Amino acid sequence: MTNVRVTIDGQEVLVPAGSTVLEAARLAGIKISTLCDHPAIEPIGACRVCLVEIEKQRVLQPACTFPVSEGMVVHTNSERVQESRRFVLQLLFSERNHFCMFCQMSGSCELQSLAYENGLDHWEFDRAFTKFSVDASRKYFAMDHNRCILCRRCIRACDELVGNGTLGLKNRGANTIIIADLDVPFGESSCVSCGTCLQICPTGALMDRASAYMGAKNEITRVKSRCMACSVGCGVELVVRDNRVIRVEGDWEAAPNKGLLCEIGRFHPLHEERHRLRKPLVRREGILVEATWEEALRAAAQGLKAAGQEVCTVASGFVTNEEAAALQALPGAKALMGSAPVAGDGSCLGVLDEADVYIMVNTDLAKDHQVAGFAIKRSVRHRGARLVVLSDQPTKMDDWAIARWTLAEADRAVRLAAEAQMPAIIYTPEGAALAETLAAQLPRAKRVALAPLGNALGLAQAGISQGFDGQKAAAYVVVAGEAPAMPAPLASALDKADFVVAQASYREPWDQVADVLLPMPTTFEKSGTMVNTEGHAYALSAAVKVTLPSVQEMAAQLGSLL
Amino acid sequence: MEAGKFAVQDPAKRAMVLTALFIAQEQFGYLSPQAIARVAERLNMAPEDVYETATFYSMFRFKPVGRHVIQVCEGLSCHLAGGAERLVEYLQRTLGIGPGETTLDGMFTLQTVQCLASCGTSPTMRIDDTLYESLTTDKVDMILQALRGEG
Repeated sequence: MTNVRVTIDGQEVLVPAGSTVLEAARLAGIKISTLCDHPAIEPIGACRVCLVEIEKQRVLQPACTFPVSEGMVVHTNSERVQESRRFVLQLLFSERNHFCMFCQMSGSCELQSLAYENGLDHWEFDRAFTKFSVDASRKYFAMDHNRCILCRRCIRACDELVGNGTLGLKNRGANTIIIADLDVPFGESSCVSCGTCLQICPTGALMDRASAYMGAKNEITRVKSRCMACSVGCGVELVVRDNRVIRVEGDWEAAPNKGLLCEIGRFHPLHEERHRLRKPLVRREGILVEATWEEALRAAAQGLKAAGQEVCTVASGFVTNEEAAALQALPGAKALMGSAPVAGDGSCLGVLDEADVYIMVNTDLAKDHQVAGFAIKRSVRHRGARLVVLSDQPTKMDDWAIARWTLAEADRAVRLAAEAQMPAIIYTPEGAALAETLAAQLPRAKRVALAPLGNALGLAQAGISQGFDGQKAAAYVVVAGEAPAMPAPLASALDKADFVVAQASYREPWDQVADVLLPMPTTFEKSGTMVNTEGHAYALSAAVKVTLPSVQEMAAQLGSLL
Repeated sequence: MEAGKFAVQDPAKRAMVLTALFIAQEQFGYLSPQAIARVAERLNMAPEDVYETATFYSMFRFKPVGRHVIQVCEGLSCHLAGGAERLVEYLQRTLGIGPGETTLDGMFTLQTVQCLASCGTSPTMRIDDTLYESLTTDKVDMILQALRGEG
């Protein structure tokens, strides 16, 4: 790539041709104020905050969209630029309701920060604004059009990153507002509640219900960790105040999700309705009663011993590598709380942003591994890629697919993908056999095998590689973490078992079956490592300190008693 | 993100969107969600984008209108000619509806507009595609009667 020489604020920099002025300034370490621009999405030059003076240009130009050329001389902070920036900010503030002291974003708002940076202590224009109603029809966050500056970040994120295309605009000028689909309430729209718009909104227009008014930028800390809800292993930033996670955000810098999260990773932990388990419970005369840790462990050891030597330990996807290793202290077989992972061809999830034909085999990426599904949706929307769904049931990806064929019609998918440059076959263990057959007929195909549980590959590396398909042991130790439900084979096995010990973060559903129920830290509360579906090891950092005994302590102590 | 990613959209097709919306409005009477979806499908656009474009302009309707749409000019010339207020008031009384409303029998929708570009013959109104000039209340009666007579 050729480079061009530009001078920004007297500093000469060599930048790749085709860069924007803003990108060039960033390379030179010069900060240009921006508002509608966001690194993850395409710039559109909507807000005019980044206007800079470029010599030989008649008027000021937006740095975010203006391409550099050889010998260009840019002034980012001249008198003229400063004046224009203040003018633009005054216009933004004078339209709609930007009274910061009443806004939950006050202290974390990008518009407010810009005002402070530019010494805007008042605005000269009359406050002429239409009042808009607040749309609170969505479960996890509300939209206040009155605080919206129409930067269109949410629209672009929904379209370019998530590929869902739910958001748009209606009307014109001062009456323009953000709408969902063809102007239906957000809660009734095609929104998948991934919350990317919420995270990318620079003002208080989008308001998180769980964390609204809970802490501004200087009152919170951010801890980078990982989501263990599925094997994509998204990088998260846990927003913490007073030893409590108030919000989960996607880590823009983390692979493979690059800032995106799904409803399950972003919202479910903060809208958990199950009862948190903080004290051990022991079943006495059919009823679970509180006990000390020692009593509970003794009861567990006694019960397991009474049931004989046949003990099976079942670990969920929320178990870290370190916890899994410690489970070896327990006697008997070990199994995964689900199917055993299948190996693909080592393709990374990045393949999903390159393939031109996708065959999704017997799984629904709009339900599980949603962030991987977003990559397919955005490729269908913007790269002209084509998706074929092979499933006997309707999936939520069908709207993005050119066709859904039954598993018996797999030959049609092969014919379609035969001419593709890079077909990608996406599957979980349920579709593995068929996926292998397809791959054998498509030499160019990439096989993206998605592991069924969050840390399935890490558990497999620690020696827990058997899927649980109804083994019969007399007694079980279930290490559940936040696992939301019992898979059917496990539920029926536990029902028949003589004795069940469970270590879990929540009472439900384990209080139905466990004889001894031990508390367990959640993903937010523990450090360790996990291995995602691509085989990458990722670190988890505890964002919250708890005094609950770890899985390691449970395994060591129970192991020694047995 | 790569710049070429919007290349799959056909710019020539997108340029047809306003024309297509006018055709759809003529066919369906207004731009229903179904009409928007049909335009989007024909032009290979996202329905939200079509809706966004349509709502930007004031000449598109999103609710059903009566068989005949009456647009009364409220522009300066019609106002000075003493027509605007009196005409609107008269039509409201005769039809029993306010501006933006449709008669119960679905015959007429009343609208006020800013200028019909016929100041020399003010006051004026437009019904569907026909311009009526130098109006008096008697003339309005005759016009409405004729339209009602048509069925």
